[in-house]
Amino acid sequence: MSESRPSWITKFLAVVRYEMFWNIRKKKFIGMLIVAFALTTLVLALDHIANFFGGPPIEPNPDFVIGTNVGLGGFAFFLFAIVTVMNTISAEFESGTIVPLLAKPVSRTIVFLGKLFAAFLTLLATYCFLMIYMAIGGFVVYGPQNNLHLVPLSLLGALFSTFIWISIVLLFGTLFRSSLIAALGPLGIWFGTNIIGSIIGVLAGQGWIFTYIPGTGNSGYIGEPSPTGMGVAVATGTDSIGSNLINYILHPSWEVTYYKINIGEIAPGQIPWEKLYSEPLSNVVLTSIAVAVIYFIVFIGISWYVFRRAQITE
Amino acid sequence: MSLVIETSGLTKRYESLIAVNNLDLTVKRDTIHGFLGPNGAGKTTTLKILVGLLKADGGSVSVLGQELGWDKPDVRLKIGFMPELPKLPKHLKGRELLDIYGRMYGMTKEERNNQVPKLLDMVGLKERGNDFIGKYSKGMQQRLGMAQALLSEPELVILDEPSIGLDPVGMVEVREMMKEIAKEGVTVFLSSHLLHEVQQICTHVTIINKGVAVASGTLKEISAKVKGPMTIEAEVDKLSKAVIKKVEELPFVKDVSQDGKKLLVELKTRDDVRSQVSQAIAAGGGIVTSMNLKGESLEDVFMHLLAKREEKEASK
Repeated sequence: MSESRPSWITKFLAVVRYEMFWNIRKKKFIGMLIVAFALTTLVLALDHIANFFGGPPIEPNPDFVIGTNVGLGGFAFFLFAIVTVMNTISAEFESGTIVPLLAKPVSRTIVFLGKLFAAFLTLLATYCFLMIYMAIGGFVVYGPQNNLHLVPLSLLGALFSTFIWISIVLLFGTLFRSSLIAALGPLGIWFGTNIIGSIIGVLAGQGWIFTYIPGTGNSGYIGEPSPTGMGVAVATGTDSIGSNLINYILHPSWEVTYYKINIGEIAPGQIPWEKLYSEPLSNVVLTSIAVAVIYFIVFIGISWYVFRRAQITE
Repeated sequence: MSLVIETSGLTKRYESLIAVNNLDLTVKRDTIHGFLGPNGAGKTTTLKILVGLLKADGGSVSVLGQELGWDKPDVRLKIGFMPELPKLPKHLKGRELLDIYGRMYGMTKEERNNQVPKLLDMVGLKERGNDFIGKYSKGMQQRLGMAQALLSEPELVILDEPSIGLDPVGMVEVREMMKEIAKEGVTVFLSSHLLHEVQQICTHVTIINKGVAVASGTLKEISAKVKGPMTIEAEVDKLSKAVIKKVEELPFVKDVSQDGKKLLVELKTRDDVRSQVSQAIAAGGGIVTSMNLKGESLEDVFMHLLAKREEKEASK
């Protein structure tokens, strides 16, 4: 065997290869990809189906692709994160494969980074495939599309959004060495922040808190006033980085306005909205990116620290 | 003879349990060194410290002349390690696993293309290299575990209970494999609780119990630590008083007794004198059908040393 020490990049790529084999052969990942493909197809075919059953005829819609954020949304990011990395570290401990792996001349930092990079590549390939499929499908179904050059921003936003959840799933997996906890822990957080949190936010008027928590974030309204007088609803959290980035590029002067519901004044057929405050869309975009980056760095940092110090008793 | 493993005062605790207690261990180059002890003695813990899977709480460890630090992987370039009942990733094929591990060792494509088929052939998995590991039997996984430990042409191979879970044929094959790799100048350090295995293949032995090294040295050196009498037990046809008298006349014989066809000869020496006793029996007109020297087996030594240790602890 050659006497020279292998470079870190050689070892890193070996770990990436090891992990990629796992990612692309995972049954749940293949299943998830099929489901995502089926759902995207359904989104594209929905108007055709409605038309077939006597619905309105299909009108050209040049903003379909950009308007649907290329078909990817909050829970999809969460699910892709879970499916991609719930086994990444925890299953190595559970199955005992961590023992021969860490007995190789590869540092734990390289193992950790290699696994993370493999997750990135897996998601990048998956999202690219789905977005290209959506763009072509949108063109075929709704005619020529506007602003397709902004689709990479959706991809960037989708990766940001997913990687927050990836960092949380990895943290649970590394701390508890259990794939089940790696999946259920973040699921609890997702429910807590996105569903219960949003309801409390709207009712109590304290939605701003959710600006600093991963997920949907605070709900606000942008653009021209809608028939309800409040504009178009948008989520301002980390799950919406892609769509908000595109909105900002297209309408840099837009503001986001926040409301709460005055429960005490609810009357039949009337929702008593109270305006709270407004902020520029640029603030929303920057804040959500900063929140995503900070959460990612903190959670990944803790996971790496725990993994690096882990005693292999398996 | 230089040392490939040297530990001094090595200690590892799991909360209140002391798994390894102030262990001094030396393994010389070009030996097959057995690490013997009952279950829970601290063997696997020690081995895991040597390959960087566990961090010692005290003492120092040097492997292949390098001090072992936490997460310093370069020392493992020349170490092959096979864990007990190796768990290998089932989503990979045997050939893929060896190829990927080879990349981690920095082996070139040419080296991997040479070494991987050679090792698969050596461990009898040539025809199954393209199958997923998930489809391998336990014995096949064990053999693949051995192949991955030898992948980088290591100077030191550390094997944790290498023949556990194997059928008798597999056990013999693994032992032959260990002898073969030792002949090629690789130092083999293996843990086992199978005394006859260690006795058959090891040149040196360290006996560990409750995290403490009880004895260390060559098999002969360790046997010499046992001061109990050696006995020859022989099955003899035509066993007569003349036979007994001939045996009693031998200068190294302390006492002779008869139990049916069985002749029990208590010795003053610890040397193997079975041929002289056999000749004396023949001279007396007896025919030896079987003969065993009791008190020389590693099992006897092992039990004796463990009992001695227990006594010492009880008297504290």
